[in-house]
Amino acid sequence: MMEIAWIIPLFPLFSFLVLLIFGRKWRRGQIDFAVILSLVSFICALLVLFARFTQENVKVEFIWLTIGETQLTAGFEVNQLNALMLVIVSLVSFLVHMYSKAYMEGDERITVFFSYLGLFTFAMLGLVLSPNLLQTYIFWELVGVGSFLLIGFYFYKEEAKVAAKKAFIMTRIGDVGLLIGMILLFWQVGSFEYDEIFAAISAGDLSETMATLTAILIFIGAVGKSGQFPLHSWLPDAMEGPTPVSALIHAATMVAAGVYLVAALYPLFAYSEVAMLTIAIVGGFTAIFAATIGMTQKDIKRALAYSTVSQLGYMMLALGVGGYVAGVFHLTTHAFFKALLFLAAGSVIHAVHTQDIEKMGGLWKKMKWTAPFFLIGTMAISGVPLLSGFFSKEEILVSAWVSGHYLLFTLAIVAAFFTAFYMFRLFFLVFGGEEKKEHSMVKESSNWMTVPMLVLALLAIVAGYIQTPWFGTFLGDWLTTGIAANVHGHLDGPLWVMIVATVVAFLGILLAWLMYSKKVISRDWFTSRAPYTYQLVVNKYYIDEVYQYIFVKGSRFVSQVLHFVEVYLIEGLISLVTITIRQLSMLGSKFQNGQTQLYGTVAFVGLAILIVVFALTGGGL
Amino acid sequence: MSSVPLSAYLTLAIILFCIGLYGALTKKNTVIVLIAIELMLNAVNINLVAFSKYGMMPSIDGQIFALFAIAVAAAEAAVGLAILIAIYRNRKSVNVDDYNSLKN
Amino acid sequence: MSGEFFIFIVLSLIAIGGGIMMINLTKVVHMVVALVFTFISIAGIYVMLSAEFIAVVQILIYSGAITIMMLFGIMLTRHNDKSETSGGGFRKFLIFLAILGFGLVFYLGIYQLELGEPSTSLHENNTEQIGIALYSKYIIPFELTSVILLVALIGAIVLAKRDDKEGEERE
Repeated sequence: MMEIAWIIPLFPLFSFLVLLIFGRKWRRGQIDFAVILSLVSFICALLVLFARFTQENVKVEFIWLTIGETQLTAGFEVNQLNALMLVIVSLVSFLVHMYSKAYMEGDERITVFFSYLGLFTFAMLGLVLSPNLLQTYIFWELVGVGSFLLIGFYFYKEEAKVAAKKAFIMTRIGDVGLLIGMILLFWQVGSFEYDEIFAAISAGDLSETMATLTAILIFIGAVGKSGQFPLHSWLPDAMEGPTPVSALIHAATMVAAGVYLVAALYPLFAYSEVAMLTIAIVGGFTAIFAATIGMTQKDIKRALAYSTVSQLGYMMLALGVGGYVAGVFHLTTHAFFKALLFLAAGSVIHAVHTQDIEKMGGLWKKMKWTAPFFLIGTMAISGVPLLSGFFSKEEILVSAWVSGHYLLFTLAIVAAFFTAFYMFRLFFLVFGGEEKKEHSMVKESSNWMTVPMLVLALLAIVAGYIQTPWFGTFLGDWLTTGIAANVHGHLDGPLWVMIVATVVAFLGILLAWLMYSKKVISRDWFTSRAPYTYQLVVNKYYIDEVYQYIFVKGSRFVSQVLHFVEVYLIEGLISLVTITIRQLSMLGSKFQNGQTQLYGTVAFVGLAILIVVFALTGGGL
Repeated sequence: MSSVPLSAYLTLAIILFCIGLYGALTKKNTVIVLIAIELMLNAVNINLVAFSKYGMMPSIDGQIFALFAIAVAAAEAAVGLAILIAIYRNRKSVNVDDYNSLKN
Repeated sequence: MSGEFFIFIVLSLIAIGGGIMMINLTKVVHMVVALVFTFISIAGIYVMLSAEFIAVVQILIYSGAITIMMLFGIMLTRHNDKSETSGGGFRKFLIFLAILGFGLVFYLGIYQLELGEPSTSLHENNTEQIGIALYSKYIIPFELTSVILLVALIGAIVLAKRDDKEGEERE
């Protein structure tokens, strides 16, 4: 099965092509076709994962290009991380396909939407299967294209257009870093192959500084894709896309690609302490930074987006402090519960036709399925014990504690508190409280939407049990076998870490309950006491404004200066040249007036000048 | 023996040639342009005849050559005038400036 | 100053004067007539150069045939037209300068040019010598010249003929 793992991305690609070409005819069948293809893709991925349990890694490559003595190869590779990612991506993709069938019902361009979904899934699966950096980069950009297309799906909305452009440009900033890092690495190692890079590292062929430099450059690429500070601001804006897209791309898969990249190149990062520290600090800062913003957002999807940014920061933090398994583990569980949350949010939006949480409320009774699912997701992300998020988050906290970065550990704890608070704030505001009049007609969504949520909800509950301190550390043992870098499967942290995490989660839930459900504490309690801080946070720390001011205004100023230079200096010079040429040619064309006398005059004057010059120089010219 | 040197004849020839050239390049009337060209040919003929007497190898050949030149000049004048009249029929003008069909 | 030189000066002045009058007169007919002086004095120069036959031919062809033909040409066109010089003053000045330079250079070239002893036998039976040379040494060019004259004759007739058919079509 593993030898034909390359077939997995081909199903969505086929779906993309078929929908692209025949999309306009018999739409109904097309969509079912796409859903079935994604299901086939998922089943194959599952088979590959099971095969990987018993078999060794598989790597198939062929020579793609030969440049001098360098050979560039293409192919695919199946290892533990790949197999896991394959399943995550294809599962979420399949569920989103299913969900979208109902969610996008009635949309004029539904087949286009599904073809984009196919393209994106193909790119993401290809990215995961890539055995070398070059191929990774190609799919990396393709994923970006898919994201761009899907964010801008409602291109008739100005915000969607702007958001798509923003996402594309901001991830491009990161991609440039990745490209430079990749080329530097190729220059140093002479190969794009992951295996050869790792071999060069373990052989010590790469100097410490160069390793740090390349690692940080590649990390910049991951920062762009995974929405880490300071390139995070595109992710919340990307919520302009359809909600299933948010669930697929901006919660479960593409944004996790950055984390995946760091994990895939983990030996390179582990080689450089500075790079590791950078990752940990950026991740930790992003986690708490985004969490604070998430507490103030009024748009349900944006709040979830900031939560995603925060959780991705968590993963980065885990990887940075050496918790390879913790990072990948959190990536897995997060993919499930965050996709669940987005799908549930989509279901709510589908029902009430607004994204403003202030206008929602009292939906618990109306939405018998969606509400519990949302609650499960919320509990999972908040770290309520026995749900998946609890285990993965605890793993990260332990990693941070064991690595000795106590400040980062504290940050992570505080972020966990914030997470619990803002997630339950969302929950209470949306589902709790009084029923609003305008929502009296709200109905539960169709089965096409609830079934994927059900699957994800189950996974959000049980996915944690693949790696627990109690029932064995299956995932950690499995993931770490055969990894070049020095990573540990599971860390036995002090018990109080788990207790603190639980307490903090419940504290956050309690606070949210008091504030938004019981209303014992006034909602304005904090706002009225620290209005400036609140303003700062609610405006997302003015990051967008700062970027606007520095980059947009700055480049606009520069371009105005350059425009001035161009208009008055360069164009002046150019018009001088053109005027000269024009005058010369006008003079020349004056001679071409068809009169033989003038022609004779010119010829004779030329002859006379020649003769005079010859006579003056004595013929020795 | 002769008191008039060769250079005197040649100088006369070059002066006449220059006058003819100036006329050919500046006059507007096509007939005058043709006549000015005849003057230039005459100046050349003076040279030929002068060299036949004062040249390195004085002989009758120079005079024969001048005769041929005169004959060809006569033919040229006739054809030129015929062309002039043909153009004049089309353009109703003898002004050289109006003959600018080379331009198109 | 010998008499020969005096005659040369007089003839030269008449020739140059005729040329300058041709340049400066305004009426076309007057210009042609002015040039007749030049042609005749050139014939005189030929006589001085022991070329009596050429001189006679010069008077016949130039002063006679060509001048008359040009006068006919003027009359067949707009004979009362005044000839103005073409181009602006700048162009005329430029041409004048170029001609001046050209003439000066050639004058420098021919200044005090003496190539050898002048031939003394040319004036003896000049016409006979020319005739002998023409009909012996230059017989082929002579015959070719006759062909040229014939072609010129036919060509001139064809060109100058009023093309009736064309004219009818145009009307």
